[in-house]
Amino acid sequence: MAITFPSTDYFTQLKTQMEAQAEKFKRLGYIDTTFAISVGANGSIRNFILEFEVFDLKNVREVPTVDLKHVDFQIEGDAPVWREMIENIKRNGQADSSHDINTLTHFGERLKIRYDDPDGHDKLYRFMESIQEFFDLSSKVDVTFN
Amino acid sequence: MAYLATNNYLEDKNFIDKWLYTIKSGELDLSWMNAATEKVQPKEANPRRGLTYRDLDLGTYGYTDIPEKLRRNRSYAPRGAEIPDGVPDAQPWVSRKSELWAFNTESYYEEAVSRQWNATTDIPWDRLEGAELPENIGKALSQLMTFLTEVEMIATDTPAMWLPRLNPDFIEVRSFIAAQAMDEARHAEVFRKRALTTGWGLMQASPMNEMALKHLRDADSFSEMSVALHLVAEGNVLTMFRFSEYLSPTDVDKRIFRLVMQDEARHVGYGMQHFKYVLEHFPEKREVLHAHLDEAENISFAGAAATELTESFIILAGGGLKKENIEEGIKITTMFNLKQMQEHFERLDKCGMPERRERSKLFNMYQMGVAAAEAAGIKLN
Amino acid sequence: MAFYADKDYTEDATVLEAANRVMQGQLGLEWYDAKTEKVKGKPADHKRGLTYTDLDLGSYGFSAIPENVRTSQSMVSRGSEKVGKLPDMGYVVNRKSDVWSDNVAALYEEAKARRWVPATDIPWTELAQKPLAPEMEAACAQIYTFLQECTSVTLDFPSRWVPLINQDFLELKSWMCAQMLDASRLFEVFRKRALYGGSGLKRASVSAEQGLKEWLWADLYPQGSVSINLALGGILLSICRQVAAFAPSNVDHRIMRYAMQDTARQVSYGSGQLRYYVYHRPLEIPAMEQYIEDEEHVILAILGCPEVLEPLIIISGGGLDAAQVRAGRIAVMKFIRLAVQEYLERISAAGLKGHSKRSRLPQVVDRIEGPA
Repeated sequence: MAITFPSTDYFTQLKTQMEAQAEKFKRLGYIDTTFAISVGANGSIRNFILEFEVFDLKNVREVPTVDLKHVDFQIEGDAPVWREMIENIKRNGQADSSHDINTLTHFGERLKIRYDDPDGHDKLYRFMESIQEFFDLSSKVDVTFN
Repeated sequence: MAYLATNNYLEDKNFIDKWLYTIKSGELDLSWMNAATEKVQPKEANPRRGLTYRDLDLGTYGYTDIPEKLRRNRSYAPRGAEIPDGVPDAQPWVSRKSELWAFNTESYYEEAVSRQWNATTDIPWDRLEGAELPENIGKALSQLMTFLTEVEMIATDTPAMWLPRLNPDFIEVRSFIAAQAMDEARHAEVFRKRALTTGWGLMQASPMNEMALKHLRDADSFSEMSVALHLVAEGNVLTMFRFSEYLSPTDVDKRIFRLVMQDEARHVGYGMQHFKYVLEHFPEKREVLHAHLDEAENISFAGAAATELTESFIILAGGGLKKENIEEGIKITTMFNLKQMQEHFERLDKCGMPERRERSKLFNMYQMGVAAAEAAGIKLN
Repeated sequence: MAFYADKDYTEDATVLEAANRVMQGQLGLEWYDAKTEKVKGKPADHKRGLTYTDLDLGSYGFSAIPENVRTSQSMVSRGSEKVGKLPDMGYVVNRKSDVWSDNVAALYEEAKARRWVPATDIPWTELAQKPLAPEMEAACAQIYTFLQECTSVTLDFPSRWVPLINQDFLELKSWMCAQMLDASRLFEVFRKRALYGGSGLKRASVSAEQGLKEWLWADLYPQGSVSINLALGGILLSICRQVAAFAPSNVDHRIMRYAMQDTARQVSYGSGQLRYYVYHRPLEIPAMEQYIEDEEHVILAILGCPEVLEPLIIISGGGLDAAQVRAGRIAVMKFIRLAVQEYLERISAAGLKGHSKRSRLPQVVDRIEGPA
């Protein structure tokens, strides 16, 4: 059954897929970061907090607004950009180099990174391989777009 | 100690103007494209092994063709790159290959990188919960771990001290040393962690061995350091790890010692190969190496006075403090001590220095020890 | 420099007697009742394993290390019982605020957990199957030549200081060993990539190397850390992100994704160390401010040298034709702005709030816009 993006169900499905590939994520090493994903559409924004600890996604929840002091960083972008990324992942099995998180966020033109503390921002790069592999799990999930 | 660049680039109008012009106009100089460097086409000799430094041993980029004296490069330019006028002098102390080269250095490094393990997660620490060792075994184990965590960091500090003094062209040796530093930090970590999970904490420091550490750290030359550290000290420690694995009171300890001995064997391997390399290529250095060994073996023997270590071995080997335990422990520890010395001389034989036995005071002590052991009914294999 | 044993121990009656006594069963057991704290550490989280943070207990823990370490100049393990005459190892860094960062134990654990292997984790043969255009390959070879210069220096920095730092700072020294392996691995992957494409290495950079040596040879550890870990680390992180974003091949993409992890850890430590230093040594702030201001010219020396600027333009634009160079220039302008902005943010977040106003970098970077 297809899952709608964005939704907590979507991220929970990725969490399930992550657990199924526990060895792979363990091999990549600890991922200790909490970040927000914000998806904008039709003038409104939906925000999701993803809490990673050790090798797992521990918790996902939707929140009305993001307090940057309580997350390491926020990745914010319009729905069409997120959709393009996920469709690219589905097509290729993983994001190609034009659609991975680093590229899309690099100059803040497609997806924007916001943060309160630069050290929190740097966590995006410290855990980049794991974060990207996490989003690449979308290739295993049936997604529809809101 | 500070160095100042030959230019303050924020005050160099020409530099800034050229930079701005390039960015704004797109007129690229591109002279670097025609760098006077060799073109090579490395290939993976073994796809399963991946792309190794050995695959890059080609032409001017390779380690085989490094000359004995490095005259060309004293900068941070990577070996084989074009070196323009004006690069700074990195002030290397060691620019002679015979001071540090070893056969197979690149392989030791690649092996080290691929065989890194993690003291935090690769040891089944949870199996220790609820497991209580008898007091004498627990304390003896803690004392052994205290000794080991104390000495391991010398093998970090000492090679690390030499690393920035080595000419940057010695890429593979510098890399090996960096890997060794990490190996030893991991050893210090795992032994400290084990001591602090016994319930007894750390025990007593070892003044005799501290003196040995200072000798290792303050060697006059890289080669002297390597003989003392890699060949003698780590050779002894490798035997000790094998012995400790045999004595381990829990399967967790066995795992610890199996993992650390893998790393240690690499370091000893480097030490032996360096020693061999020097003997084969520079026979005139034989006497110098004997002099290094005289000091290193003296310090090694001083370890016999580190009774806190010997006693903890006796208790672990014998299984306790009763008379019969101690008798059994002494037998086994005697075998270990003699084995340690025997293997030291075997390594020197293999490296091409069989005559060391005739010159070494330590060998005399070994022979006396063997005789005394046999008189006591202890047979060495 | 050499330290020699004070006597010939094979002829020392004391040593021989001590050894013989023990081997005849007369154990002294002076160590048996060592006056040390009894603890039994265990993992707080079994999945994470047993970390140094789990052993931050009592006199053994890193939290208990005082600001000034006066009572230990040997390699004795922190918390063990000191007996007898211990040698002086000559440590010259004995103040916690000179080296510490609150995240150092965690970064050490993370470095171990997130290790990778250049020989086998990079899909090298993909490059052989799909080689790049010659000018693109040359640009890659040049940037990877430069990156080898940088990682030679990021390897040297912790190596220089580790033997000079008091052994009580065990977790910090362990982190520095992890940094050494990280730097060595990055050097390795950059060298392998530079050579694998067939273009050969290119040219070393005079201005970059002059600047790197100035940073490396800083008088004091905190100064060197700001320069090498925070500033240089930040530049390298930005370059990794830039090359990953415009990667001409999947091989370059993978390399840079791994490399950015390692360099981001380095930056995190550098930021954390400066933060700790500024917080605990407020009287030193003016001197640190001055140092940072004096050293910022090296950022320009690196970002402004043709050996970095031009290959980045080619890689970011996709080639050498006019439209590609134009696109590359625009991308590199953004990259320079971003790199400098993030550097200034890190300095400010560490507690040097007014630094952006003092720094001469923004004025120079602002000149990028506008006609040639």
